[in-house]
Amino acid sequence: MTVIKSSKKGGGPVFRGIPAFRFLTSVRLTITTLSLIAATSIVGSLVEQGASEEEYLSHYSERAYHFIKLFGLDDAYHSPWFYFLVVIFAINLFLCTVHRLKRLSAAKGRQVPDLAALVSSGAGFITGSANKSEVVRRIGPAYKRERVTETTEVFEKGRFSRYGVIIIHTSVLMVLIGGLVGNISGFKAYLALRPGEGASAAESRTPGRSAVVFGFAVKCTDFRVSMYPSGQPKEYASDIEILDEKGNVLKRGRIRVNEPLSYKGIYFYQSSYGRSNVYTFKADGRTVDIGDREIVRDTKVPFMVVRYAEDVHNFGPGVMVAYMDGDEPKTLWFLKNVEKMRKHVVKGSRIVLENINGQYYTGLEVSRDPGVPAVLCGFVMMLIGLYTNFFTSYRRIYVAHGTDAIIVAGIASRNKEGFIEDMKRIGEGLP
Amino acid sequence: MNIYLVYTALGFYLVSTFIYALSLALNKTFLEKPGYYSIATGFVVHFASVVARYFEAGYTPITNIYESLSFLSLCIAGFFIYIRRIYRVHMIGCIIAPLVSLVVIMSLNFPYEIKPLVPALRSVWLPIHTILSFIGNSIFIVGFIVSLLYLVVEKEIKKKRSFFFSEKFPSLSTLDRINYRCMSLGFPFLTAGIITGSIWAGFAWGSYWKWDPKETWSLITWIVYAILFHNRLALGWRGKRTAYMMILGFLLIVFTFLGVNFLLKGSHTYI
Repeated sequence: MTVIKSSKKGGGPVFRGIPAFRFLTSVRLTITTLSLIAATSIVGSLVEQGASEEEYLSHYSERAYHFIKLFGLDDAYHSPWFYFLVVIFAINLFLCTVHRLKRLSAAKGRQVPDLAALVSSGAGFITGSANKSEVVRRIGPAYKRERVTETTEVFEKGRFSRYGVIIIHTSVLMVLIGGLVGNISGFKAYLALRPGEGASAAESRTPGRSAVVFGFAVKCTDFRVSMYPSGQPKEYASDIEILDEKGNVLKRGRIRVNEPLSYKGIYFYQSSYGRSNVYTFKADGRTVDIGDREIVRDTKVPFMVVRYAEDVHNFGPGVMVAYMDGDEPKTLWFLKNVEKMRKHVVKGSRIVLENINGQYYTGLEVSRDPGVPAVLCGFVMMLIGLYTNFFTSYRRIYVAHGTDAIIVAGIASRNKEGFIEDMKRIGEGLP
Repeated sequence: MNIYLVYTALGFYLVSTFIYALSLALNKTFLEKPGYYSIATGFVVHFASVVARYFEAGYTPITNIYESLSFLSLCIAGFFIYIRRIYRVHMIGCIIAPLVSLVVIMSLNFPYEIKPLVPALRSVWLPIHTILSFIGNSIFIVGFIVSLLYLVVEKEIKKKRSFFFSEKFPSLSTLDRINYRCMSLGFPFLTAGIITGSIWAGFAWGSYWKWDPKETWSLITWIVYAILFHNRLALGWRGKRTAYMMILGFLLIVFTFLGVNFLLKGSHTYI
């Protein structure tokens, strides 16, 4: 089979004669696509990603902004040409790996290398035929013995080492596939909840995408922060309940930083926390608790808090409330500590500010990524592949018979210094 | 307590630097051994300081600039000891000893009080990720030194004028072999550092990869070393070209380690 013999330059002899295939399996293509992926990544880390038009225009000129938009540099890692590069890279990697696998499995009829040259390079010695059994004993049982030709035997160790590169390349493909799956069918979202609050959807992290609906509800029953004596946060955790649409609890758990909770493939991560205010109003005799920018609708005119001030002209805390008077937006200040200013009648509704309460909220990162198992599998494979390739060595020691002497010489794929030491040890003191 | 051990270690590193400089200036190779023993002693004391700090702080002390630089210099010294034992290339210590001393001095310019740990760093992945990453970085830094030496020695030999370095330092082929050893040891550690970081990010940030600047630049570094491997093994690039790529890789490592934190904003801002 002529297929087996190949040029060292990585051109694909399997497909020899078809220039497109030769191009697709070339190492030069690998290097080119990798360089371009690296270059895109540099651009992506220097240009702010996923910002709004105004933010870009405040940093760049209009022409630069058009350029950024045209090449998708505002979302470089999801731009069509970044996908294109990754796909070309994946095809290249796949074909090279298949090719290498074929070559390895076909490499049965091994040729004996130039043993004399190996001896002169230090990786061998010549000794009398009588010493053969001693040499074999010193090589040891770790090496597998095989006859290659009439006069030559080979002792082999670590053949699996040659599969290291294939394992590494396959693992990179696994990670890419996992990443692609996650990009297509996963989501990343953010959710802020106050204790007692629940939600069944979250705001997507991908700009321009609508809210992500879970298919169940998640409720924060408690949130706690513990502090170091210095006032720095030590740990924070949320108690979470997963509820079905009837309000039955499906799952309960506590999430901490580094310890997420999952339900039906959706993961909730403790990512941040903050403090926000809860305003208690009495509107037409009923008590309502609202947060910033939440609208009260059960009065004659809907209203909401648009501003909070800790101290309004030395009169203590107050909020600015906005409502619509016909088509015209109106605002009104409520001051908590001033009896007269606590109550207002707005379009026939009597509204009283009862209390302002600072409260923690928990910031949860929500994500679903069906690609994670493939990625993790790729990671494990990559580590195994790297170990096999860089920490194990494929060693061959040839023992060839001359007329009254034997040549013992060998090759190691890795750690040649150590191998030469071992060869010296094998030949030590032999005449 | 731990800080005094660091000062003691620095003392040994400086003594080593002095002895190495002396052996270079006087051209006395027998001085190499005391230089080596001095840096090795420094390494042991430095290691003890990290252990002491671990017990004082209650966590793996690789969480801020001071601790990172200190640990990095420890790894460089450790890897030098490893390389010297294999290749018997002695005079590289002339560069490693002052480098290690310099990094320790740099580290001491940053605040070194033990601070309580932020919640995100309270994880078993902290030691795994940081130790693997810094071992990888230190191996590549030694590779960078070897590459610089390679270029200097090569130039000297070409010009055939002075042989100041080429007389004392290993041959070009040995330097290239050491360089390859650095590549093939550093790369698995770098990869393992990125993988463990990615898994940790998956637990802490809810996404194993979100193109945070630290992630992005570590990937760029990884790609450059991957290209270096393919150039060398598939296209047969040796010597000078490997040396240039190792220097590029080093610059990227420094940027990923320090530049990203100071120049780009991201989530990985613990140090």
